[in-house]
Amino acid sequence: MTSSTTAHEVAATPTAGERTARPKRAATHFDANPAKAGWLTKTVLIVLCVAWMVPLFGTFVTSFRTRDAANSTGWWTIFTHPSTISNLTLDNYDKAIFGENVDMGRAFVNSLAITLPATFIPLLIACFAAYAFTFMDFPGRDFLFLLIVSLLVVPNYVAFVPMLKLYRDLGMGGTFPSVWLAHIGFGMSLAIYILRNYMATLPKTVIESAKIDGASHFQTFWRLVLPMSIPAVAAFAIFQFLWVWNDLLVALVFIGPGENEPVTVGLTHLKQQLGQGWELTTAGGFFTMIVPILVFLALQRFFVRGLTAGAVKG
Amino acid sequence: MRFRRHGAALLAVAAAASLSLTACGGSSGSSSDSKTVTIWSSVDQPVQDGLEKTLQAKVKPDGITIKWQKVENINQLIMTKIQAGDTPDIAFIPQPGVVKDMVSLDAAKPLDDVVDKSSLEQSMIPGTLDAGTVDGKLYGLLVSMNVKGLVFYNKPEWDQAGYKTPETIDQLNALTDQIRSDGKTPWCMGIESDTATGWPATDWFETLVMKYGGADTYNSWVAHDTPFDSDVVKQAGAEFEKLMFTDGNVLGGRSAIASTNFGTAGNPMFASPPKCWMYNQGSFITGFFPKDVTKNLDQNVGVFGFPPATAGGENPVEGGGDMATMLNDSDNVKTVMKALAQTDIGKDAAPTSSFISPHKDFDMSLYPNDVTRNIANVAYNATSFLFDGSDAMPGEVGAGSFWKQMTAWISGQEDLETALKNIDDSWPSS
Amino acid sequence: MLAKTLSALLTVLLGVGAALLVYWVLNKIAELLPAKWESRVKPYFYILPAYLAIAVYLIYPTILTVINSFKDRFSREWVGTQNYSDLFASAAFRQTLLNTLLWIVIVPAVTVALGLLVAVLADRLSPRSEKLTKTIIFLPMAISMIGAATIWRFVYDAQPKGTGQIGLMNAFIGMFGFDPVAWLQTSTLHLNSLLLMVVLLWAQVGFSMVLLSAAVKGVPVDTIEAARIDGAGERQIFFRVVVPQIKGTIITVFITVTITVMKIFDIVYVMTNGGFNTNVLGNEFWNQLNTNFNYGSASAIVVVLMVAVIPIMIYQVRHFKAEEAAA
Repeated sequence: MTSSTTAHEVAATPTAGERTARPKRAATHFDANPAKAGWLTKTVLIVLCVAWMVPLFGTFVTSFRTRDAANSTGWWTIFTHPSTISNLTLDNYDKAIFGENVDMGRAFVNSLAITLPATFIPLLIACFAAYAFTFMDFPGRDFLFLLIVSLLVVPNYVAFVPMLKLYRDLGMGGTFPSVWLAHIGFGMSLAIYILRNYMATLPKTVIESAKIDGASHFQTFWRLVLPMSIPAVAAFAIFQFLWVWNDLLVALVFIGPGENEPVTVGLTHLKQQLGQGWELTTAGGFFTMIVPILVFLALQRFFVRGLTAGAVKG
Repeated sequence: MRFRRHGAALLAVAAAASLSLTACGGSSGSSSDSKTVTIWSSVDQPVQDGLEKTLQAKVKPDGITIKWQKVENINQLIMTKIQAGDTPDIAFIPQPGVVKDMVSLDAAKPLDDVVDKSSLEQSMIPGTLDAGTVDGKLYGLLVSMNVKGLVFYNKPEWDQAGYKTPETIDQLNALTDQIRSDGKTPWCMGIESDTATGWPATDWFETLVMKYGGADTYNSWVAHDTPFDSDVVKQAGAEFEKLMFTDGNVLGGRSAIASTNFGTAGNPMFASPPKCWMYNQGSFITGFFPKDVTKNLDQNVGVFGFPPATAGGENPVEGGGDMATMLNDSDNVKTVMKALAQTDIGKDAAPTSSFISPHKDFDMSLYPNDVTRNIANVAYNATSFLFDGSDAMPGEVGAGSFWKQMTAWISGQEDLETALKNIDDSWPSS
Repeated sequence: MLAKTLSALLTVLLGVGAALLVYWVLNKIAELLPAKWESRVKPYFYILPAYLAIAVYLIYPTILTVINSFKDRFSREWVGTQNYSDLFASAAFRQTLLNTLLWIVIVPAVTVALGLLVAVLADRLSPRSEKLTKTIIFLPMAISMIGAATIWRFVYDAQPKGTGQIGLMNAFIGMFGFDPVAWLQTSTLHLNSLLLMVVLLWAQVGFSMVLLSAAVKGVPVDTIEAARIDGAGERQIFFRVVVPQIKGTIITVFITVTITVMKIFDIVYVMTNGGFNTNVLGNEFWNQLNTNFNYGSASAIVVVLMVAVIPIMIYQVRHFKAEEAAA
């Protein structure tokens, strides 16, 4: 009988026990469709999807309209009066991406240069810490973990001013590392929290048997726990990527406008002092969404299937 | 010895990587290269481009290069960057209150010995230097300005209806009644502005307070020596109520004011026939008008300054603008400051943007159209130029309670008395 | 340009490599120690780098914040508990607390419920439809909050009566002859706060769906089959078999979202800036810090937030203890 982490009684057959005790490959896919979707299920999902898409779609259409058209009529007029379709224009995109106000190409590269390190490094550090919190016993463990959870509530902008002063003394202001380190620090508590809670659901027996076979913690971590945690790691990697990519505050405060600005800061130049030019920000916004969506689509296959691999139980 | 740097390995790598990065563009702030002067501003791009062109030409003989960076919301950013010690050499600050804060943090440097104050007092509109003066010293120099308290209207329709420019507030009231009795809606009005909702209402108030009370009363009110809960402010409130809350005076009625965006509120003026007839806003509002209106601004748009309380009496004008502040007093930065103080600094900006010069001796022919010339004249003929009061009040009030309480009162959540009292209560004690 | 891209990639490699090296070195050091010490020290070595980052970026600023909450606006003079008494004396702040509470009561529960609904229902679709559904629900996560606010502007916008409506909701009710409603300015029954919550839900459900979907897929099929053989209905199976097994993930998501909601500020800031009785703690903090430049007051608000999280912590501790007992 595998030990799950809550005391509930589930009639688990021995085969289930064996299944959870063996770390699964990402490719294992058992039929998890005990109940096929009925019309009610489909209706609910379609309603939800439409509700989710409409605001986005409306803005997408708006991004091809002129400012005066967007100010005077609703975006749906292209359906109610199809003759207005000919008025749609790529102008906003042209100005937002190739305009004089902002060098979007450079900002794009900067965004990548900020996001990649700020995604991978905290993940690795968090994995190690989560492993220690889950599979090692040491005095103060619970306290140290709960401290991390309670720090989740600290808004990251609390750290801006003290950090700026520290960076000033170190002469790091406005550099990429100042932002990388900031994202590592700010993302760490959530990463540890999510990963630790995932690892806690992994079957303990596997770890125990590895220990009996004489594997060190280092080996157990690399060979067992990390591969089994791939779903959670992938999920968090995507979240962290999106958060860093879309982050404006940290970039604005630590890098500021200029040579190293990422796309989020670049987008703010499109608007003028009193908000003129918002029609460009719709276009610019969709332009900056391309990368996150590609990342999600690319990782989704691996992601969903990866997720089916680990036996997650509460 | 690999493990001696175990704690610092990450940092070392980061530092190494940053070395390779700073080579291609490093810190955003003050350049160590003293021949380059960095400027940050939030002014509109065309204004910035024009000023930069003139300025670069002026300081080129001195071998100075200007690096001008547009930033969003410089008021917040500059305070943060001062803490970080990562500031530009010159920052264009739109709020006197922020200039004050910069002085109290010892970040802004006095300009009295840099620019020729006595000649500036001659050339600039009275009152423009006061906005950037803290404790008797000049810290912020107004370079470009906007004018508020301007009433825009649809020129062809207006002329056809035969309406006349009012000379006093009473005449404005009479005109409002006349337009309404003609079966039309006199006013367009909207105060919605995302995070800053309510500011257009504070501009209305400021205009009315200065027209009724004059410059001295206005300044004492901005400094909170005259409280909100006083007669002159209530008089302004009563006039606002008369114009805005009377049934049929405002497009969409009183309840629509708070949810109508200030940028689009004036556009119904240009419908045919106009859905509303007058819109009181700042000079920048022309940038929000529909393109087919601005294509031929002089033909489509008329404008007059909000009238004074008594004809021929004191007539101050409200406005705002961007003040150059100096955060680094090296000789090169001073040279740039001197150039920014010259009257013709706006000669490239004026023809291609919304730029208005605060210098009365500026060449009026450089303005792109009559509408801008009329607006500039409203400012140049004023008895004094008074800076937007909410921008000079402390943040708690000027960008907080004043906006919010005005909004609450206009949308009918509380009465004027309560709103004014709440603003007084929110004034910081220190 | 190219240099930047390369150096970013290089940094990823070097950074990850260096991090690995650190752990390897730490591990080696631990192994050089006497056996008794090795097992004692090793856990601390594993959490050391993470704690270093947290100490610098969260703990140190938090301690500073607590100290500054007892100082004046420029953190120069001590003012005792002045900042706190000022806060609680103001009716507006008490209202802000209530609004924040409203967010905490509504948003996390709905986020988890919707995320679970999509996770469970999409699970029954064909793989292709499932992927599409999940992508659509996830999409808002790819947008910054500022972008989300722009998007919802086209839903809630209100134009004066008699002019064309560009907001979806007003256009819709206009079809039935109703006058336009100023949605975000209507505080009756906290309607506008609820509408702001919808924006956050729209942006957050993807997050909860992804994590919960992983958990749902991990429920062993045979436990469900066994229940089915016993004659349990779909609903019973869901509540008696599936939910107990994914409880841990539900709690994780619930707490994460709760904490996000506690410090929510960008949506409120961009859409109403707390006007019309929509103010929340996070927004108030932001304004104290960046509009009023009142560091003391802003710090006091953060401390209030920190205190407010204590009940959540207690709950987490209990869950933790139960987990340990069961293990």
